[in-house]
Amino acid sequence: MLSILALLTAIGAPVESSWDLRGAFHMPSIDTDPSVMCVDGPPYYAFELVTTKNIPGTGLATGTVEASVSSDSPFSIQLSPDGSYTYDLHVSLDRMRVPRQGQLVAWVTTAEIDHIERMGALDEHLQTSGRVDWNKYIVVITLEPSDDPDQDVWTGPIVMRGMSRSGMMHTMVGHGALQQENCAAYGYGN
Amino acid sequence: MTRTYGSATLLSILTLLALPAVSSAQHEMHGMTMGGGWRMVPMDMNMPMLPGLESAVPVVGPFMPGMGMDPAMLPEARPSEVVPMASGDTLDISVSMVRRAIGGHEMIMFGYNGQYPGPLIQAPKDATVMIRVTNEIQMPTTIHWHGVRIDNRFDGVPGVTQEAIQRGESFLYEVNVPDAGMYWYHPHVREDVQQDLGLFGNLLVTSPDPDYYGPAHREEVFVLDDILMDDQGVLPWGDESPTHALMGRFGNVMMVNGETDYRLEARSGEVVRFYLTNVANSRTFNVTFGGAKVKIVASDVSRFEREQWVGSVVIAPAERYVVDVRFDEPGEVVIANTIQAVNHFRGEFYPVVDTLSIVHVSEEAAEPGVSAAFDSLREHDDVVADIESFRPHFGRAPDHEVVTTVRVQGLHPSLVLSMEADTLYVAPMEWNDAMPMMNWLSTGEEVTWILEDVATGAQNGDIDWTFRVGDVVKIRIHNTPDSFHPMNHPIHIHGQRFLVLSMDEVENQNLVWKDTAIVPVGSTMDVLVEMSNPGEWMFHCHIAEHLHAGMMFGFTVTDGAP
Repeated sequence: MLSILALLTAIGAPVESSWDLRGAFHMPSIDTDPSVMCVDGPPYYAFELVTTKNIPGTGLATGTVEASVSSDSPFSIQLSPDGSYTYDLHVSLDRMRVPRQGQLVAWVTTAEIDHIERMGALDEHLQTSGRVDWNKYIVVITLEPSDDPDQDVWTGPIVMRGMSRSGMMHTMVGHGALQQENCAAYGYGN
Repeated sequence: MTRTYGSATLLSILTLLALPAVSSAQHEMHGMTMGGGWRMVPMDMNMPMLPGLESAVPVVGPFMPGMGMDPAMLPEARPSEVVPMASGDTLDISVSMVRRAIGGHEMIMFGYNGQYPGPLIQAPKDATVMIRVTNEIQMPTTIHWHGVRIDNRFDGVPGVTQEAIQRGESFLYEVNVPDAGMYWYHPHVREDVQQDLGLFGNLLVTSPDPDYYGPAHREEVFVLDDILMDDQGVLPWGDESPTHALMGRFGNVMMVNGETDYRLEARSGEVVRFYLTNVANSRTFNVTFGGAKVKIVASDVSRFEREQWVGSVVIAPAERYVVDVRFDEPGEVVIANTIQAVNHFRGEFYPVVDTLSIVHVSEEAAEPGVSAAFDSLREHDDVVADIESFRPHFGRAPDHEVVTTVRVQGLHPSLVLSMEADTLYVAPMEWNDAMPMMNWLSTGEEVTWILEDVATGAQNGDIDWTFRVGDVVKIRIHNTPDSFHPMNHPIHIHGQRFLVLSMDEVENQNLVWKDTAIVPVGSTMDVLVEMSNPGEWMFHCHIAEHLHAGMMFGFTVTDGAP
């Protein structure tokens, strides 16, 4: 298993890829099969994925994670046994060149990166869905050598990442007059 | 809105942001007597005191029931008694002051017939029972029969369906009960005070169908509540208008059926049916049952289309749920409110588990047939059939759209600055009072909670909706996150029943008739209301402080041509 330091390094450091990334530029359609992966959460809890620009063809890439707290619960929200919100997530990427080799995989990890779960491989529309029951979490898209459902931690370079809206709630030192610094450092402009 | 703050105030805020540890030393003030007869609200010792608020008190005066009276002069409240009633029977209910002991503090509270909760009224479906209410407290009051599709004249809304019952006066309610299920009754005058002081009770409407619910060994009524206390007893309420207008008055002492140490005995394998009612002013509970298996059966006005396993029960103010729970193993099972609270100052979630009740499960085995039957989930074909005729309305555009928001005016500048600084994230639900001081200082004088009709821009009492009996009305309710202080709202519609069709465009796959449903922050809820009951009815948030801070409007259902 990779160390936390290694994972953090992967987020920020340029990565040399051994894979052939000379793929055709692929602009995925926004329209998807409604029977697959449909999460229409409140827009407020949606968040953007930010490219690391580590992989050729992803410099202009954009991504969105929609989060719903209400799908199959008889109540207005879903909670885990410890009272954490259970979010159904839907990841969609856009404006990126799909690598010819390797597999884009979505992961979700805690803010401390001490727990990681594999959401799944992105489909031909650059979308996937999953579920998380952490109150603060980061969605990470990596380029893996293959689609291995048993993989429990990423090994490839991080292509995009984004923190849940709840990640914006940090100490009051980082809020108010100083709030821009912490969030901007992570890629949020507001 | 443009505000101007003095440089000293801004400097103090910045100092706080940089040095929270320094300010936290001021917690020694909690519980101390302040100006105007107020005591400072209790706070988590980890939360810093905002500069400029050290001596601040709400702009309204404090209210305590029976001020100056010796509690020993009052009768001691006693637990709720079951009152079976047949159609035509009459029950006298007196609203009076009682003596209660909570957490070792003896205090003056209110009670229906001197009981906590009030009498558990049992009546068969379609009965009409008479409840003669006599007011003996110093405040006017009424009784609202929550969830009951009652004759409008007896809905208990002062100034709309009746005049408030003054001290020494009586009012006779004719309560017709067309739907089986668990309902409750409470005042519709200053609920933030009267309900919090103990004025609530259940009304159980029984079905003629002996198989209405699945088999259970026995039934328990759980009335969930909280109350705000410090080491001197209960904290005063606002006199002219509510305190805690922003988030509602969260209590810090949990109670089941008015008791802080509510215990049950069960046998191994025993299936217990719990009728849960949340009578708290603001708190939504997440009720967990240890490791016991929990099956959700019914909610406000009907059973679900199908029973469903759940890990916990999320129950907002005024909601009811019926759940069957099987206690498999001998030992102790803790029934708890299990939440992830928020500490805004540290920017973190943290787990909180408050024990509500402890169930001692004995070695003795319960009758096995019922235990085994618990493993299967029943479908309620009659509920499905009842809802089927409404399905053609599910997909159509909403008839009305409502957004929720809040307007503040005149709040303490330190409070406003702090609130505005903490705007990057608002949780879907407020499980705890994450800002007790600021919340306490906000009153109905400064805070206006708003329901706004999107089509007309009309707000609260200016909204003018008229329907006819038989109309099926789709209403979209959006809880905007873009306000001064977004918060979840349990929306209650009087006199009718509704289905929650979807949350955030995710279709509800297991429908149940409701009278109250919570809308988390940022969410959009589509409800389908069957306008079956003529009269003048209310549509409001059931957080008591929000209701009294304006979040309510009336609508009309006519029984003739428009």
